[in-house]
Amino acid sequence: MTADQTITIQCTVNGEAHALAVAPGETLLQTLRNRLWLTGTKEGCLEGECGACTVLVDDVPVDACIMATGAVDGRDIRTVEGLSDKERLSPLQQALLDHAAVQCGFCTPGLLMTLTALLEQQPSPSPAEVEAALAGNLCRCTGYRQIIDAVMAVAEEQRP
Amino acid sequence: MTAVGANVQRSDGEAKVRGEAVFGVDLAVARMLHARLFRAPVAAGLIRRIDTSAARASDGVHDVVSGADIQNQRAGVAVFDTPLFATDYIAYEGEPIAAVVADTPELAEAALRRIEIEIDEVAPIATPEQALSPGARLVHPSWAEFGTVGGIDFGAHGNMVAEIFSDPGDVEAAFEQADLVVEGTYSTPRQYQAYLEPKMALATYEGGRYTVQVSHQYPFRVRDRLAQVLDVPKSAIRIVGHHIGGGFGAKLDLGLEAYAAVLARRTGRPIKMVNLPDEERLTAPCRENAVVKIRSALRNDGTILAQDVDVVFDSGAYANNGPAGASIPMFMYASIYRVGTARIRSRMAYTNTAPTGAFRGVSGPYLVFAAERHMDQIANELGRDRREYRLATLASDGHKMRNGQALEELSILHKAFELVEARAPWSDQGADQEADQDTDQNGEKLRGIGIAAAVWLTNPQPGQATVKLNEDGGIIIVTAATDSGSGAVTTGLRQIAAECLGLSADHVAVTMPDTDVAGFDAGSQGSRTTHVAGRAVFDATSEVRRRVLETAAGMLEAAKEDLLIEDGIVRVAGVPDMSLSLGQVAMAATFSKGPIVATASYTTPPPPHDPELTKGMLFNTWPTPTYHVHLAEVEVDPVTGKVTVARYVIAQEVGRAINPDAVMGQVVGGVAQGLGYTLWERMEIEDGRYVQRNFETHGLPLACDMPKIETILMEHPEPAGPYGAKGAAEPSIVPVAAVIANAVSDAIGAPIDSIPITPEAVLDALQSLEHGVSG
Repeated sequence: MTADQTITIQCTVNGEAHALAVAPGETLLQTLRNRLWLTGTKEGCLEGECGACTVLVDDVPVDACIMATGAVDGRDIRTVEGLSDKERLSPLQQALLDHAAVQCGFCTPGLLMTLTALLEQQPSPSPAEVEAALAGNLCRCTGYRQIIDAVMAVAEEQRP
Repeated sequence: MTAVGANVQRSDGEAKVRGEAVFGVDLAVARMLHARLFRAPVAAGLIRRIDTSAARASDGVHDVVSGADIQNQRAGVAVFDTPLFATDYIAYEGEPIAAVVADTPELAEAALRRIEIEIDEVAPIATPEQALSPGARLVHPSWAEFGTVGGIDFGAHGNMVAEIFSDPGDVEAAFEQADLVVEGTYSTPRQYQAYLEPKMALATYEGGRYTVQVSHQYPFRVRDRLAQVLDVPKSAIRIVGHHIGGGFGAKLDLGLEAYAAVLARRTGRPIKMVNLPDEERLTAPCRENAVVKIRSALRNDGTILAQDVDVVFDSGAYANNGPAGASIPMFMYASIYRVGTARIRSRMAYTNTAPTGAFRGVSGPYLVFAAERHMDQIANELGRDRREYRLATLASDGHKMRNGQALEELSILHKAFELVEARAPWSDQGADQEADQDTDQNGEKLRGIGIAAAVWLTNPQPGQATVKLNEDGGIIIVTAATDSGSGAVTTGLRQIAAECLGLSADHVAVTMPDTDVAGFDAGSQGSRTTHVAGRAVFDATSEVRRRVLETAAGMLEAAKEDLLIEDGIVRVAGVPDMSLSLGQVAMAATFSKGPIVATASYTTPPPPHDPELTKGMLFNTWPTPTYHVHLAEVEVDPVTGKVTVARYVIAQEVGRAINPDAVMGQVVGGVAQGLGYTLWERMEIEDGRYVQRNFETHGLPLACDMPKIETILMEHPEPAGPYGAKGAAEPSIVPVAAVIANAVSDAIGAPIDSIPITPEAVLDALQSLEHGVSG
């Protein structure tokens, strides 16, 4: 890859500003994992089906494996590493642990991003709304029940 | 008791929700190169020429290897039939033919495309029926030269990998006495494990030793198989395990490890390999497609005089651990029901398809599907209530299976039927069938109910644990047991040690597997970890406890018998101010007799049985049985054919639930996989090639597909288990296909004897019923 084929973009990742020289066709997933070492975002199917690579771009969940990094110029990106500070987990992260909703954990970062976006948009979702939100996140381990219980518990706690 | 029975959180949980947990695919080391495999593009063919020179000259390429460049002898778990690279002929689509090492995965991929190959394609042997038909082309012309583990004769012949049977010789005579013969054929497809983390390996070769970093369910199996494939001593190999992004049986045998090890030695550089998603799907050791035929000789009063069972499995192009799975019919038939006498034949065939292998419950889901569909069929033919007929036919404590092993606690199964009944009273829809057919005109849903029972095992294979008491009172468990998600290691083993030593599980840490450090452990398979590795942890911790009390008795000048341990404090009973922390005791021991460390091992002893009753078995007994009853109510839309699970109830016997939430996660997760297998997932084969080649067409269960699962955990402590625990993680998948098919057949009034039960299959069955009625 020669230098003139790269494009330079600006974006924020978990609140931190980055200027990145990226190759054409480089995906956001490659950028996050290979350049920024944010390996919490997982590489699953590489076709936008499994949701393990879900990140938030301007608060909207996207599959980073099929999003070109060139397309996030000027945008705000959040990954699983940005969900909590060193001391405290986010209520959703804590709820997943409290409800034994993490098994192998490979889908967990992606579904945390999807569910974080859901709760930001709709703080009191119904179980059906949670199920619908998870339509793009596959979990082969849990059968989803404990995940949904965890989200409902957070929604209940946040209810005014 | 405090730690056991509590919902302790998994020790890797916080790292997993923070995205900090390093899975195998996340690993990187200095000087690392990347390798990719060139895989067969066709299902069967003769390799005429392979030219790697252009690939070798490609940018960033360090090495290109094919079968001619290395020792490439056949090896395997049960049958030594699998080469690292295909050389003369291709046995399945996706079979490795060559490997490329380059600076990046992308450069390796580019070089792969420059490998030239000439193949004379031949018509694949696509099905076991075709493979076993007279005169069929041999998938492996040299099959007769393949060695087997321990030299066991599995009855291999031609395309037959294994033929395992039990024939008491009195079955035909019983059929001659029958008032009625009922027979059925039950067929099931492959199922892909669909773990999300692809298989990977990161190998280094240094100072004459190989180190391979893996995300693998069974690191010691990797060590032993690498020794076999590389023809080096086991002690020249170290396997280090990392977090596993799902396995469900697919990560129990070698994947990419041997390729990475060979290439690391050749290049002198660390080699990382990760499968692409399409390689995973093409080559994963799916649950095998199978056809089961059952004939039963009956008296009019419902007594089963004899059963004749014939099972044909698809091994795919290589045997893997197939002969173990092919042994399981001996425990699934003539076991929980009284069937008089039984002849059971189990045959596994080579085909030109991807090798099949272990998937949660191994052959159980389809064997129980056939067994329990057949029970419904018999009950319906006799005009008996399907639940009542099962209860009337259920065997009692001490009933012997075909291998001569007695099921000593079958009464648990009777109790399971009662508990399910108390939760969801049975009402057989059979009698209402006509009313249902009438209402269907008004667009109403057809309702049906199904029930099924099963006995499952706890894998007995060995495990060892070392328990160390640190000088701050913390505990470290050193084990090669793996946690591919169940929590058996990250909660269960910690809770067992904590309970035994009288402290909180927060003070117990557990290592990741490392075969140089930990003793042998047979990996996460067959629900064995909590029972077997847990027993090793219990025994080792008991010895740690003994040494703590011995040391503390000297320090406190008290009798050992007067000491107790509570919340990490050793006290003299009745003397409140006479106490020491576990840390103080450990410190004193370390600087006198030595650190407090103990190691223990456990293997479940084989239950008494008679090896003469069966032939060709790789798996002779059914240790530590657990008992299961599932019930489902379904609604079927007669217009669209869609099946909705309205209610799902389980009574599952677990011995003792060390961590009830974790057990529930296993139960529900297993049912989800079972529902996928039964209703939605497709892994079809046409001309030896998979039809569904991505998640979009595959049909994995989504959150919105899952019904509520009502679970009754039956605790019936097993004396040999740690705090009574038996295996719990695997079996909930086993009865699902049976119970759903029974319920759908009940709803529509027509038998469903194959899965998946797609809307098209339901509509076809309804249509054939209409034709049958009008004709």
